[in-house]
Amino acid sequence: MNPFASPVSLNMQGQYNTPNTHKYSVILPTYNERKNLPIIIWLLAKVFEEHQLAWEIIVVDDASPDGTQEVAIELARAYGEDKILLKPRAGKLGLGTAYIHGLDFCTGDFVIIMDADFSHHPKFIPQFIRLQQAHNLDIVTGTRYRSTSTPYLAGARPGGVHGWDLKRKIVSRGANFLAATVLNPGVSDLTGSFRLYRLPVLRHIITLTQSRGYVFQMEMMVRARALGYTVGEVPITFVDRIFGESKLGADEVVGYLKGVWQLFKSV
Amino acid sequence: MARFHRVAIYSSILISIYLLVLFDVLPIPLIDASIAQEILPVIPWWLLVSFGSYSLWSLGWGVFTFRDCPEAYQELLQEINEAKNDLRSRAVTVD
Repeated sequence: MNPFASPVSLNMQGQYNTPNTHKYSVILPTYNERKNLPIIIWLLAKVFEEHQLAWEIIVVDDASPDGTQEVAIELARAYGEDKILLKPRAGKLGLGTAYIHGLDFCTGDFVIIMDADFSHHPKFIPQFIRLQQAHNLDIVTGTRYRSTSTPYLAGARPGGVHGWDLKRKIVSRGANFLAATVLNPGVSDLTGSFRLYRLPVLRHIITLTQSRGYVFQMEMMVRARALGYTVGEVPITFVDRIFGESKLGADEVVGYLKGVWQLFKSV
Repeated sequence: MARFHRVAIYSSILISIYLLVLFDVLPIPLIDASIAQEILPVIPWWLLVSFGSYSLWSLGWGVFTFRDCPEAYQELLQEINEAKNDLRSRAVTVD
């Protein structure tokens, strides 16, 4: 029998009294997120305080013209300068370099990366942490396509997406099937970007990745598997484009195919 | 060694074995030669059709079991309102 699904283990998961002594850093790359940033930080702070975790949020802003940095400074005053760190950059330099920049200022031993536009909800972070601690995993990723977690986690709710029509779902499943067949990554959601990494693991992987955009997220996962790091998955709900419509153009499809082919050849 | 190279090596080994058997260079021990000659030319097409039908099933099943989560959307909207009120009291500009 799976020892992690035994009654003793199920009762113990998430109910121990000893506090978690790790510190969790969240890296939030932002560009024109003036309206979303306060709310996402409020949600993160609420989740971390409820679960009594040491936390910090590193806001990497790419010179947003709409005043994101001013809001970040107000939030730092409200929550503490040690909790909200604003580390701006001179221009719009891309996601991968934003993570590398943010990593220089991390004082935690785990790093959480997520989107700042409400598609990823911070309420799943305690589940990521529980799964990571129960199985000593290097990486925990959120998946939109599964109903249960791998390996087993008590209390995981099924994943799902809000705001996708049938065509988008077909495209998404097709893309995933293609990537799974070609790359055999071992995770069900390869393009997802809601992940918890151990700090040295993230540092190691990020120095090896060369792509840009969301292929970057795929490459990090594929490289992590190739290097032998242990990965777990937790189902998450994904609310796409709470303001506005989700569009998927032909350029993105071509870029995706090229990205998968590149990964096939290089990893 | 990248995945591409592994796949290329395995597939070239399998294809060369297949071609050797197809052109009667290697014999298959336990099957009648005439039956083997009937089946062998069709094997690539059989693999293609099997893979195609598996992919189609996988796609259909994936789309059928794709979960919608309207309750997550409603919950999120409520939390956004709550957050805005709380942040206003803490002197942070929201909207």
